[in-house]
Amino acid sequence: MVSTQQEIVGRILRASTKGFTCGTSSRQVDTRHDFGAFVKVPIANDGDCCVIGLIYAVEIKDDQLVNELVMADSVNPNVLLDQRENRMVPVEIDVLNVGYGYRDANGAVINGFHSLPPRPPMSLTDVELCSIYEVFTFTQRYDFFRTVINASDVPSDDLLAAALRYASQAYPENQRYEFMVHCGQHLARMLANDLKRLSHVLALIRPA
Amino acid sequence: MQYPDDSENLDQWFPRDASAYMQAVLPIPRLGVVVGGSLSKGLVVKLDRGQSVEDLAVGRYVVVHGTNKRFFCMINDISLNNTNPAIQSDPPDISDPFLSAVYTGTAAYGTIHVAPMLSIGDDDKPKPVKTIPSHFMEVMNANVEDVNDVFGHEDESHFNVGTPLELDETQINIDLKRLVERSVGVFGKSGTGKSFLTRVLLAGVIAKNQGVNLIFDMHNDYGWEITSENGSSVKGLKQLFSSKVTILTLDVESSRRRNAKFDSEVKIGLDEIEPEDIAQLRVTMSLSDAMIDAAHTLHKRWGDSWIRRLLKGNVDDIEEVAENTPIMSGTLLALQRRLERFERWDFLVAETPEDSVERIVNLLVEQQQSVVLEFGRYGNSLEAYILVANYLTRRIHERYIDKVERALGDKAMEPPQLLITIEEAHKFLDPQIARATIFGIIAREMRKYNVTLLIVDQRPSGIDEEVMSQIGTRVTALLDNERDINAVLNGISGAAGLREVLSRLDTKQQAIIMGHAVPMPVVVKTRAYDEQFYASLINANGTGINIDKARKTLGSGGGERRIR
Repeated sequence: MVSTQQEIVGRILRASTKGFTCGTSSRQVDTRHDFGAFVKVPIANDGDCCVIGLIYAVEIKDDQLVNELVMADSVNPNVLLDQRENRMVPVEIDVLNVGYGYRDANGAVINGFHSLPPRPPMSLTDVELCSIYEVFTFTQRYDFFRTVINASDVPSDDLLAAALRYASQAYPENQRYEFMVHCGQHLARMLANDLKRLSHVLALIRPA
Repeated sequence: MQYPDDSENLDQWFPRDASAYMQAVLPIPRLGVVVGGSLSKGLVVKLDRGQSVEDLAVGRYVVVHGTNKRFFCMINDISLNNTNPAIQSDPPDISDPFLSAVYTGTAAYGTIHVAPMLSIGDDDKPKPVKTIPSHFMEVMNANVEDVNDVFGHEDESHFNVGTPLELDETQINIDLKRLVERSVGVFGKSGTGKSFLTRVLLAGVIAKNQGVNLIFDMHNDYGWEITSENGSSVKGLKQLFSSKVTILTLDVESSRRRNAKFDSEVKIGLDEIEPEDIAQLRVTMSLSDAMIDAAHTLHKRWGDSWIRRLLKGNVDDIEEVAENTPIMSGTLLALQRRLERFERWDFLVAETPEDSVERIVNLLVEQQQSVVLEFGRYGNSLEAYILVANYLTRRIHERYIDKVERALGDKAMEPPQLLITIEEAHKFLDPQIARATIFGIIAREMRKYNVTLLIVDQRPSGIDEEVMSQIGTRVTALLDNERDINAVLNGISGAAGLREVLSRLDTKQQAIIMGHAVPMPVVVKTRAYDEQFYASLINANGTGINIDKARKTLGSGGGERRIR
């Protein structure tokens, strides 16, 4: 779901120039935290410059109480609901940095660079979902593909496919197929030496 | 796109010449970019994604837009490539339109090989190519402007012979002045339209007054109307240029049977035939060296009537020669048997009232008429064709040498450029006899005496290599024999690329022209020889005044000396 207005995904827990992890309350988790969604966050000490990243993992961690409740024979539904929504362990959202850009007068991050940001974001900075316009402008070029493809410890093929399907929603309906074809052609050049991988990614992004 | 500024001017919005307008406003589609190559081997161009390989063809022109120059190139090969050879063993499912769109032009792509022929700089003048464009320069289809920059416009000496491949809006204009000043070869396997091609060239030479022609018309193709392969009648040169062409015939009966008009009959006296004329028949009549020597001896002993006396076969005569010369009687009898064929040719008579050679020279030089000599049924006899062609050409050539030498220093007195057309040329220019025949001599001496050859042949490999090397312009329809292709391309730069083009020409109405009359080898879809062609000749022919003729008429005797 591509955002049409500023929506907070979470706050920074840990960050580096390669990526960051933000956390949010479990009851906040919804379509904003989709795998492959485009998010943005200002880098340290520069409100105008924002990192743009892709959500590649959403992790709900356990704790002692959850472990015990999992093994209990019968649990009051109110307790389960309370544990889901009011637990003190945040849902962790892992983001891979794929570029950065500067805010325009309207606050939209444009003029994006498809490379890693100069600095990471600071802790507890709000992470926002990118707007349709930001996703559209960022995906006019395809250079961030290589960052995703080469990322380690990331399900890169699935992430790229999910990101492209997500980004295609930012395009008018009659341009989505064309967008996917262009992305496929770019991938075909990038993965020319690995045809099996190319074939797999194309199968993932192939429009229905 | 620029929109017209005057809303009242409909011509601006809807131009009368719509094709020129479209040409001007529509961008030329890019084919691809240069990715490699060399000057000697040609350039490799990677095709753009949207460019279909099937839309390209060898022989087509493309232009590489370099940094400072345009490079005019010809496609000579097309190939399919891929970024990973593994794709050949596991090709993608192209029935899926998405996969088809993704793979085509990326992992699998087309390349073309183009041969740079000319470069065009800021001065818009084509020059021989001596360098190549740098990497990644854009390659476009040649447009009308590019072709016109290279081949010029039709004018007094340039004649439209057809259109480049896939570019019907423009035309290829060959330089007739350069065409006639060196010998020309028209080659192609049987049925590829050599005669039509030759007729177009001859019509151009006559229409533009670039010379006179002497055509030894073996199959009666050039003078009067003939029926084409599709059954329609096409006009002969006499019908197109009645005042500039004279038809002579060796076979009056055939002309009447065909209902073909002719101006007069040609007879050759047996007394006029010399041993040198017989020597040209060495291969076709299986004459040995001893027989040729015998002919010379008989000519020396018996004078001009030597053939008549030999054919009479008087035993005393034969014995007298055998006894008093080293010639064996068997040799004489063998020569006699071979020359008996002459008795079956009605155009050979004991004596002739007028000199045929003098008449033809008069037509060519004084009246500046082209002469078509029809052979009628004798065209089927190669011996008759070779004998007559050699007999006449030797003597006309001698007269030309005489006239040219007399005219030294006075250009106005020079005879007009003469183009002699012969068919089955390999029979005249076989390596064994080419050095001795008059045609071999003419081909080698080039423009020295204002006489050149237009040779029409389907086996260029049978022509002497030295003669082939002297042919200035080669017009070649489809050839598929490797030796013939080699013979035609021998000595042409960039021949390797042209080989592919040559072997893939259409069987009809396509030819490659290379050499002296064109700035670069060019594949043309030749003009149709039809009503439209006839009409264009009338336009080209109708108003021009032949300055040379006017000058000569004023300078010579005759009834037209006075200015009226």
